[in-house]
Amino acid sequence: MESPKDRAQRGIAYQIPRNTLALLMVAQAVVILPYLLHLSPWLIAVGLFCGFWRTRVYQGIWDYPSRAVKALLVVASIAGISLTGIKSFSLEAVSSLLILAFALKLIEMKSRRDAYLVIFLSYFVIAITFLFDQSILVALYELGAIIVVTAALIGLNQLHSQVRPLVSLKLAGALVLQALPFAVVLFVLFPRISPLWSVPLPNSATTGIGDSVTPGDIAALTRSDRLAFRVIFDGAVPRYKDLYWRGLVYSEFDRGTWRVGPELPVPRAADPLPDAAETIRYSVLLEPTFSNWLFAIDRASSDTRSVRKTRDFRLEADDPVLSVFRYQVSSNPQAALDAGSLPAYLRARETSIDLTSNPRAAAYAQALWQETGTAALFTSALLQTIREQEYYYTLRPPPYPSPASIDQFWFDARAGFCSHYAGAFVYMMRAVGIPARMVGGYQGGEFNALTGHMVVRQYDAHAWAEIWLPEQGWQRVDPTAAVAPQRIEQGLSAALSLEDRSSLSLFTNARLGDWVLAGSMLQLLDSIELRWNLWVIGFDSNVQNGVLSSLLGDLTPLRIGIAMALGGGISLGLVAIVLFWRRRSLPQHPVERMFSAFALRLAGHGYPRAPEESPAGYVYRVAHQVGLNDAQIGGLVAELNTLLYNPGVAWGNAELKALKRQLRRLQFRLAFGSSR
Amino acid sequence: MSSVDGETFPERIIGGRFSEWLDRRVPPSEQITLNQRNLFIFPTRTGFVFAGLLLLLLLGAVNYQASLVYGVAFLLGSLFLVTILYTFRNLSGLQLELVGTRPGFVDEDLEFMVRVVRPQGSGREGIQLGWPAGIMQWAELLDREADTVRLYVRAMDRGYLRPGRLLVETYFPLGLLRAWTWVDLNARALVYPKPIFQDFPRARQGPRDEGELMDPFGSEDFRDIKSYQPGDPVKHIIWRSYARSDEVMVKQYASFIEPRLWLDLDEVSGPLEERLSRLTGLALQATRLEREFGLRLNQLKIPPGSGDSHLETVLRELALYGISER
Repeated sequence: MESPKDRAQRGIAYQIPRNTLALLMVAQAVVILPYLLHLSPWLIAVGLFCGFWRTRVYQGIWDYPSRAVKALLVVASIAGISLTGIKSFSLEAVSSLLILAFALKLIEMKSRRDAYLVIFLSYFVIAITFLFDQSILVALYELGAIIVVTAALIGLNQLHSQVRPLVSLKLAGALVLQALPFAVVLFVLFPRISPLWSVPLPNSATTGIGDSVTPGDIAALTRSDRLAFRVIFDGAVPRYKDLYWRGLVYSEFDRGTWRVGPELPVPRAADPLPDAAETIRYSVLLEPTFSNWLFAIDRASSDTRSVRKTRDFRLEADDPVLSVFRYQVSSNPQAALDAGSLPAYLRARETSIDLTSNPRAAAYAQALWQETGTAALFTSALLQTIREQEYYYTLRPPPYPSPASIDQFWFDARAGFCSHYAGAFVYMMRAVGIPARMVGGYQGGEFNALTGHMVVRQYDAHAWAEIWLPEQGWQRVDPTAAVAPQRIEQGLSAALSLEDRSSLSLFTNARLGDWVLAGSMLQLLDSIELRWNLWVIGFDSNVQNGVLSSLLGDLTPLRIGIAMALGGGISLGLVAIVLFWRRRSLPQHPVERMFSAFALRLAGHGYPRAPEESPAGYVYRVAHQVGLNDAQIGGLVAELNTLLYNPGVAWGNAELKALKRQLRRLQFRLAFGSSR
Repeated sequence: MSSVDGETFPERIIGGRFSEWLDRRVPPSEQITLNQRNLFIFPTRTGFVFAGLLLLLLLGAVNYQASLVYGVAFLLGSLFLVTILYTFRNLSGLQLELVGTRPGFVDEDLEFMVRVVRPQGSGREGIQLGWPAGIMQWAELLDREADTVRLYVRAMDRGYLRPGRLLVETYFPLGLLRAWTWVDLNARALVYPKPIFQDFPRARQGPRDEGELMDPFGSEDFRDIKSYQPGDPVKHIIWRSYARSDEVMVKQYASFIEPRLWLDLDEVSGPLEERLSRLTGLALQATRLEREFGLRLNQLKIPPGSGDSHLETVLRELALYGISER
């Protein structure tokens, strides 16, 4: 038996219908659009050039590029990508290559197979968008993009003359919307597995606090209103000035930069957290940081799987946070850290300092220590100096080149940001042998009254100090509170001069918050985005377990399987009902029905209709058998053919009745012989 | 134009068993309504590639822990399932009926007219039908409820051509799945022998005095005596009579054209098929010349006649000579 493929090869080569091609090109444009900001300009130029070429081919003005031209384009583009300096195997490189393949495929797309390749690539590129941005607006846009791509896929399977882009779009919309319910079922029920292997990360995404701080870094962060994380408190929201979101501990200082030290082993029995009345419970929805560190109020512990405690009382995730990550925290602000004794290796680490790098600050600290004598007095003397002498809090301090950056800040310019103050404070503490370290994280946040959650943005980034006192253990000291108490009590914008505020970009909440209406609009958007993060983006295995346990009880594979089958049955069953419901079998063509009945009656008289016989042929044959000639029944046959096969002729009951009479007469004749 | 990519699963795998099973499952019938009893559905190669893409997306979602990549994978997977319903629905409920065939000669394309009627409601598109030996044709059912598709099959031998089971298939809407069926519409069309045309034979001289006078000089049958006229052949002069009277009489010979041509299998030469072909050619020529003719095939005798329906009867006998199927 000949396969359909052989027939396809024998037939005329498939040409992509023009309407389908137009739809395909629109789909490609829609898919590439979100990448425009991420791509290097020359790649965009290549894409536009290919699109232009294809349009010319489409119009019949240009021809397809020759093999040599195509090869040249490919080689030049790959060379271009490697020259642009994109890290190989990074997400940018992969997406650039994909987009490039996409554009180049455009100019050689001829066969149906090419078109399928482009469409599948489109679906892939849509998915990759979500590695960069998973916000609700992007999601809605990409849902639309999936519909457009699906419409192009439909166009490939239509008869040329029946490709109507708008109709295809409508059908694609219906298909995708009908597919959504089961997709949701799968989304909720499909088990989330932990990553199988480590993957290249987008290197453009490393905003936020890093594992090293050079004073000035954090000032740059304040120009960003990007979301850092959201917090939902179980009970009352703590006071604003207590919202110190501790994330990183910087123990090493070298040439003006504070760094996170090597990781320390965690003691086996990390002392349990006493459950006290003042324990704060909350969950955090952390935006992707592409790092392991998590932010929490001291002293934190978490029930969430894949969250661990570190030796310096921070929380860390087992895997880098690539997508919104939700974790539960209980914090006890009263609990002491390392109270009583500090292991020798830790004491060595937290007091090590190079006194020669900033000799003035070192000498100043040692002189002050001579005066005060105790750590408590020394600390308050330093803070008093900051408070009472002419120190300024500003986002735009003069540059302080290393290594003597602290000297220049403390003695000369006296203007700086939180990390300047914290850095100088820790340096001077260590200079007199008090264990001290810099801590990075966020301070404060913005309360959203609509949902009752807290939003922490990049401009809430903050640095402060911790010193170790034998009785109390590690104590938080925030020198910024001495120079700009408003920063700690009301947030950044309250602490800034008018001049500094104007340097913030227009759309940061810090500025928009000045207008009430805009502020509440932003709150509404934020509430929507929070729910999106809570239930969609942040839906990981932890959240899933919680949700499913409350729905199904014990989570056995069998129960999940049954739930999935049930969900699938219901959601697809609904689609089937929509598709098959209204269908009744079409009553056969009335003339056809009449003729079948006629043939059946004649068969009873001994004149069966042969399978290959057309109605006309049948009538002729039987008529001849009783001696009627062509002329006598020609009228009947003509009328029969008209009513059966000519859809253009309008006819009604009168014609039908006339035909019926004639057929009756013929039947009569056949039944009783030709004598009459 | 034809299919997206051509699996004939499961035919290819199951082979001959399949057709036996099919005969039980989808029995031959002049009219058939497609439903879950006789429709098959299976992913196409493109469908499998699509499934591979989904797997890749799922892998990416796992490794990047990106919820919305999971979302895309699930949405496309669900789309695939919904498409099963759509592709199946596209054929389901269609009524197929063989409404006519046009007989033809060997080496010609025979026409079969298959009427496809869809149920009321939404239009169907992307439906193709065809016999394995022919070219697939589209049924246009988007804007109308019925379409008569003309299918052509090349005739190889005289007798009945049975093109076998008709393939009805669709890849609509996404090309990821193929729904199809093989229906047996009991289609058969008569194939006449391939005509061989030759010089139309001189009519045989018949013994009876009917018909037109033929060549008055060339024959030997005596007909009449008439008085001599200049130009009459001298050898026809009856000399004895001339001796008795002055009148010169001539014998008149004549034969008459047998106007009703008999096409006789025994009177043409060559192997059987060639003889049938010659008779076919003669019958066609005679009809074109509007001559009456009869047919003699051994015992079978069709009395002389003319006209299209007579020709059809004659051709039918020629086509089916020695073939038991009627």
